Amino acid sequence: MGDAAVTIRTRKFMTNRLLYRRQMIVDVYHPGKATVAKTEIRERLGTMYKTTPDVIFCFGFKTQFGGGKTTGFALIYDTLDYAKKYEPKYRLARHGLYEVKKPSRKQRKERKNRQKKVRGTAKTKVGAGKK
Amino acid sequence: MDQHLPSQELGAIAPIVTTLLDGNVSSDDLSKVSSLFKGISNQVSAVTDFIQSILKKVENGESKTSKGISFLDVKYQLLLSYVIDLTHLMLMKSEGKKLEGDKTIERLVETRTVLEKMRPVDMKIRYQVDKLIKTATSGEIAPNDPRRFKPNPDNLVSKLQQEDSEEEGDDEDDAEDKGPQKYVPPKVSAMHFDGDLTVQEKKDRLIEKAKRRALSSSLIRELRDQYNEEPEEIAERGTAPTRKFHEAAKHQQEFEEGNFIRLPVTRKQKNLKRKGETMTGLEELTKFDNISALVDDSKGEERDTPAKKKSKVSSRVS
Repeated sequence: MGDAAVTIRTRKFMTNRLLYRRQMIVDVYHPGKATVAKTEIRERLGTMYKTTPDVIFCFGFKTQFGGGKTTGFALIYDTLDYAKKYEPKYRLARHGLYEVKKPSRKQRKERKNRQKKVRGTAKTKVGAGKK
Repeated sequence: MDQHLPSQELGAIAPIVTTLLDGNVSSDDLSKVSSLFKGISNQVSAVTDFIQSILKKVENGESKTSKGISFLDVKYQLLLSYVIDLTHLMLMKSEGKKLEGDKTIERLVETRTVLEKMRPVDMKIRYQVDKLIKTATSGEIAPNDPRRFKPNPDNLVSKLQQEDSEEEGDDEDDAEDKGPQKYVPPKVSAMHFDGDLTVQEKKDRLIEKAKRRALSSSLIRELRDQYNEEPEEIAERGTAPTRKFHEAAKHQQEFEEGNFIRLPVTRKQKNLKRKGETMTGLEELTKFDNISALVDDSKGEERDTPAKKKSKVSSRVS
């Protein structure tokens, strides 16, 4: 599950009881390699903190100039239910737990043009009457 | 509650009892003693009735004793023990025993000193206690009423000739007393106000700043090192712009790590970064600092350069 050359260390570990999660800063050392994928980091963190990787959410990974070191954040939730409740939707969508439903582009533009003809609070009512 | 404690009567009896033991008995003293004894027994019966009614109330749960003032608790316990010790002394005297070296007297003295020490504190919280009793009996005032905790200036004057006359209790400021004020919306960030300066003063300041910057430029620094007689210092410090850049980067990193957030990168920052990574340093070789401010110039007013815009890295994170 990973070369010996890739080292993961965590900093500023904090248990956030209010949001039922553990949050930390993750430092990844990968000399001579490209930036490590988030999925592999999740698996490594899962073994480190003895959880399944599906409750671990990583984000914000930035590689330092010159390569070799990447810093990012990781949140480990107690259960997946809490994760679904407290995580922002875009991060859930990255894991496939959430789908943003929006109508097709053409319909959105048509709705906008219909709204342009009306003024004020009636704009919201216009969208409801899609033909 | 009967404030006229039986201890007062006891105190009145004590000298009479001692005279009895000395042997000089008069019928006046005897009549006084008997009347006093009768008074004591009446009072004691009245007090016991009262206390029993109160006890019944507490047992029935009519009056709650949970949220009392612990200071008053201590006070009445001390008073009780004082009275008990006094009665013990009376008993010993009436039996004809010696009081010398008795532990009761030590206890009495101790209790008395503690009560004396409690008296100034009692004076200070008297106002609060009275207010509490009033609210307890009337039960009207809302708990968040700020007028409850208004300071009473009469309490500042100490009635006991003690040194400290500080105020106790909450002093919440009554902002409503100032009247309706014009609403001033808060400004987003603090800006330097230079409306007091005239145009000439602003120009003078610009020239002064330019002079200061020119004095610390690399040209003048090298000249100074050349003609200076002090020993030469070599320090790896970095120029002021690089230091500023590093400080800003450190500030941003601390903010990001502290708040678990990544700040978006503006176009200007991206361009700056790209410029830093490429080999554009060759142009800087021929660029020297502007020391025109030190040069004696009569055309200073024509060269009004616009003020340099400060970098927005720090303003973004704050």
